[in-house]
Amino acid sequence: MSIESGRAAIELRGVSKRFGSVQVLNRVDLDVHRGKAVVLIGPSGSGKTTLLRCMNFLEEFEEGEIRIDGEPLGYSDDGTRRRRPEREIARQRAALGMVFQSFNLFPHMTVLANVTVGPVRIKGLPRSEAEAVARELLDRVGLGHKLDAYPGQLSGGQQQRVAIARALAMKPKAMLFDEVTSALDPELVGEVLAVMRQLAESGMTMVIVTHEMAFARDAADQVVFMSGGSIVEAGPPDQLFHAPQTERLQAFLRHFREGYRL
Amino acid sequence: MFDVVFRSWPLLLAATGETVLLSVASGLLATLLGILLALGQLFAARALRYLVEVWLYVMRGVPLLVLLFAMYYALPYTGIDLSPRVGGILVLSTYFSAFMAEIFRSAVLAVPKGQWDAARGIGFHGWRLMREVIVPQALRLASASYVNTMIMLVKGTSLVSIIGLWELTLAGRQIVERTLASFQVFGAVALIYFVLCYGLSLAGRYLEKRFSYVH
Repeated sequence: MSIESGRAAIELRGVSKRFGSVQVLNRVDLDVHRGKAVVLIGPSGSGKTTLLRCMNFLEEFEEGEIRIDGEPLGYSDDGTRRRRPEREIARQRAALGMVFQSFNLFPHMTVLANVTVGPVRIKGLPRSEAEAVARELLDRVGLGHKLDAYPGQLSGGQQQRVAIARALAMKPKAMLFDEVTSALDPELVGEVLAVMRQLAESGMTMVIVTHEMAFARDAADQVVFMSGGSIVEAGPPDQLFHAPQTERLQAFLRHFREGYRL
Repeated sequence: MFDVVFRSWPLLLAATGETVLLSVASGLLATLLGILLALGQLFAARALRYLVEVWLYVMRGVPLLVLLFAMYYALPYTGIDLSPRVGGILVLSTYFSAFMAEIFRSAVLAVPKGQWDAARGIGFHGWRLMREVIVPQALRLASASYVNTMIMLVKGTSLVSIIGLWELTLAGRQIVERTLASFQVFGAVALIYFVLCYGLSLAGRYLEKRFSYVH
């Protein structure tokens, strides 16, 4: 795998996708640079979640390409745009950590097993080594005392922190967060955002879809505003939140200010 | 009054053995075949999938007794002559495999989509994804209906007495013909079936509890 210096970790070029007659993504270009946190905001239905899922090839896309460290994701390199074999797609997915709105922890496994199953079964790490890594990660997200608990015994915030540890255990090149606090009770949102903030500070490359505008303002290196399947405006948080250029972003932020008193 | 039951006990016991053998053999085969059919329905190429579906509709739409007659009376004309035991096991297992297939298929589909996403996101694919993430959850979802179908199968074995396969029901009929004690003998036969099926239910309960996890 070639890692060309100066090249973005995740590059999107002209990514388009339709569900039936609905154009959900319309020629999206985006660069996510190494060590940066990019936050995607926008009204629901604007395509941000779909875009994020495309970055892990959980969604196919009809046009354009996504490159992870320069390697085309999901489709072959030779100009035919043929879907890669599942084994290769799985390898590419393993290089990116994904965290979901609904946690999706494996309910039949303990917390420790949730975090070790990937490294052991996919990467072939010895169990003892995987467990050492898992313990350290779970400590980091504040759940070192819940190793033997089952997901059903944890609060939403705890489950989501385990899900973050599970993704980190694969030592991904980048982390993708899909509205990870939207399903949480308000008092549990903070603990998850704190973990993400800490990750961003440690230099993890992150793409975050969120409705938490305060978090976007504080933690993002770049904010991307999507609407109707396109990127409408992108830039540093200061610029986007305090000097929005487009009518649509201004309207979107106005809604938020009224609703949340940002 | 129940002397006749005690006197024919060795016979009833031997016949119960045959019923258990039939149940275990057909149960195992039906499960195996059911898994294959479910996998075919879920993952096979389109042509094969349609073939599997047609097969399942036929198997579910024809009464077990009619299948048994077809095997016993019609099959010999095609040159295939099976012993009642082998034929009975084959018919029972193919018939019940159709129901098993439906149970396994719907259990796999009932595992939330997010579980597939999460497993794929980590880098699982193919058989390993099924084994580590989907199957353990599907088994738990399937367990109640599976045990239910197994109970139907045990009771279904009584039908093979019609084609002359000696098992519990046929043994009961023979004893009644000789002793005319229909109430006592069929009472005993019913009790034996009940014990077998109740045992299965208990085992099912136990397994369900064993494999349950907090949601």
